[in-house]
Amino acid sequence: MKMKRIISAGVAAAMLSSVILAGCGGSDSGEAEDGRKNLSVFIFANDHESAVYEDMIAKFEEDHKDTIANVDIQITTQEEYSKTLTGMMTAGDLPDVFYVGPESVEQFVENGYIANLQPILDEKGISTDGLVAQEALDSYRYDGEKAGSGDLYALPKDASVFAYAYNKDMFDEAGIPYPDPENPYTYEEFVEICEQFTKDTDGDGETDQWGCGMANAFMLQPFVWSNGAAYLSDDYKTVNIDTPEFKEALQKYVDLTLEYEVTPTVEQDASLGVYQRWLAGQEAFYACGTWDVAAFMDDETFPFEWDLCAYPTLSSGKTMTWLGTVGFCVSANSNNQEEATELISYLCTDEDGQKELSGITGGQSIQLPNIKSLAEGEFVTAIEDGTLAFPSNVDVFFNYLNGTDKYEGRFQETTYTPNAEWHDIFLEGLDNVKNGSMTVDEYIEQVQPQMQESLDEAWESVE
Amino acid sequence: MSETKVKPVRKKMNRAEFKEHCWGLAFVSPPFIGFLIFMAFPIAFAFVASLTKWNGMNDMMANFVGAENYIKLLGDEKFWKVLLNTVIYMIGIPIGMILALVIAVGMNRKIRGIKVLRTLYYVPVVSSLVAVAILWMWVFNYDYGLLNSIIKALTGAHGPNWLGDEFWVKVSIIIFMVWKGLGGSIILYLSGLQSIPRDYYEAAKIDGASGFNLFRHITIPLVSPVTFYLLITGLIGGFQVFVEVLVMVPTGGLNYSAATVVFYLYDKAFGNNQMGYGSAMAFILAILIFIVTAINFKVQDKWVKTIE
Repeated sequence: MKMKRIISAGVAAAMLSSVILAGCGGSDSGEAEDGRKNLSVFIFANDHESAVYEDMIAKFEEDHKDTIANVDIQITTQEEYSKTLTGMMTAGDLPDVFYVGPESVEQFVENGYIANLQPILDEKGISTDGLVAQEALDSYRYDGEKAGSGDLYALPKDASVFAYAYNKDMFDEAGIPYPDPENPYTYEEFVEICEQFTKDTDGDGETDQWGCGMANAFMLQPFVWSNGAAYLSDDYKTVNIDTPEFKEALQKYVDLTLEYEVTPTVEQDASLGVYQRWLAGQEAFYACGTWDVAAFMDDETFPFEWDLCAYPTLSSGKTMTWLGTVGFCVSANSNNQEEATELISYLCTDEDGQKELSGITGGQSIQLPNIKSLAEGEFVTAIEDGTLAFPSNVDVFFNYLNGTDKYEGRFQETTYTPNAEWHDIFLEGLDNVKNGSMTVDEYIEQVQPQMQESLDEAWESVE
Repeated sequence: MSETKVKPVRKKMNRAEFKEHCWGLAFVSPPFIGFLIFMAFPIAFAFVASLTKWNGMNDMMANFVGAENYIKLLGDEKFWKVLLNTVIYMIGIPIGMILALVIAVGMNRKIRGIKVLRTLYYVPVVSSLVAVAILWMWVFNYDYGLLNSIIKALTGAHGPNWLGDEFWVKVSIIIFMVWKGLGGSIILYLSGLQSIPRDYYEAAKIDGASGFNLFRHITIPLVSPVTFYLLITGLIGGFQVFVEVLVMVPTGGLNYSAATVVFYLYDKAFGNNQMGYGSAMAFILAILIFIVTAINFKVQDKWVKTIE
């Protein structure tokens, strides 16, 4: 009897819950009553970007009111984005348009989450030739086996560059000539300049001004690549950090802290991060991503004159850094793939929107213009005539982005692996080398097998 | 509901009884359905996931691997490392209990401003964990922190790199956790102390017991139910430490020296998309907590005394 009661209660509960759950997934609002389409968009953005995208979408709705009833845009933070997206994937409830990074294209395609845009782009005659960074564009191609070539699965919303910068005021004060972007420093020249900046300014016996500050997670790559080395093999399956080139690059990188003492020590970095020290005017050189420009141009954040420059060069003679990009893709399950593709092409290439985002109209600059003609024309003019607050060596960004005989930009190697754990493992104990308690050889011998194991697992997980 | 046409299942049950039954079910159904949707289903889902190589994107059942995740976990050096870290943090539990009992005894008397004092000790408990963890990051700061400033003023030497050193980072987190939990334990001990009848002490005093003996033979045994409760909740919470580490040492510390089991689990599942592996870790953790709690309940008869 008791059993029966439990069973009947269970059945009742199951029925009720199935009704509730059906309510969650059942409504497909791809089409409005009058036959026009509804689109949904899910992205991450900061406040300024959100406002620009909301304006662009309102304009898109207005321009396409014959075919589009409503575009619903949902915006979250970068930290929350991937968790929410995983939830949407698991629930089988993806929006029509969302963000994808180049590192996820292959997996998203293979698991049937994103649509091939190529047929739609071809049919609609939408050209991508005018986009500024063809390398960023190519990172969204996939040919069924590897990323980088084949059909397009996303359009880049931006291409970003992690360039280097110097504090002009400190150079003026020290009477040292500014770095010349046309002739990047060699490592030795860089050390020599940095040594001139490193000193104890208040006489308390402790260094409080440095040549540069180095954040392991982001700033070792330029040294490694410029020395002709890489973390991984060409097929991204083998950890290659025990090569002489890699070891030499890492040695030179830690020597800045240990041997030449031109960066804050590990302990000093723990007290106040190298980024904060740059903002406080304690370091002559620091990195500047395209997304940092607005903040560095703001006197309240960074009350110094500054400009862009190149990372020092090692044995290859080329100055290197990493690039980034985020792209708009269309859900493979979307009923409105054509309309969604039109929307993303609009968001990537609409002139007014791009002027807003890049700051040509006089606002903050959060990215380089996505359109080549804008980047080479109005953007440069706006910098020259002072409408846009931007460092004058803007070419540094474009040199890294497009590549020259002295400059090269690459995507981080984690872009091409299923996850970034192998790189996190490398960083976990790196401070032991930076504080001198381990040598480069000892550390690499210890950490390489762990990295390889993690990388093997990562590849295995997607096979 | 009143016009229900379903036939009564049991012959003996008349219409009125059945109606009552239905109403009863209707009333218990919200929490029951809530339990099914928000507890039972996720637990079952996680268990199934723990048997697969689900990465959040691939087809879960197509990547079924059986017990592989569990077997791999037992051979995962990093898992044992974070488990050891987690257990080390539990040193804070007895330290917190001893401090709390001593302070509670001190506060269990009429002093001017006692209410203010009790409130002050309780403030950390009601404060946001994230906010106070950020605050303590500054206390532990190498150059500008309160602790190292005090050490420097007293000894002239520079204090340790609290959050950057493999040993001191553990000390830091234990200190923080003791501080955060102290107020709650004090309140519980206070209520425990106040429920001990006065006459026990009086009788013992007549027999010539010293202050220490009163504490040792009356107070400690009679607050043992509180101690037991604190121990159980402390151990369960101790296995689940996460936010403290995430806020104060977001990278998991030098050589992962600060990471806990839940931190590693989160890192695996959400940082590296190994949802299956993360789920397996969550199950192992749940089993560990269950075993430790069961042992505690088993041995409680030996030391937990209640006032008859």
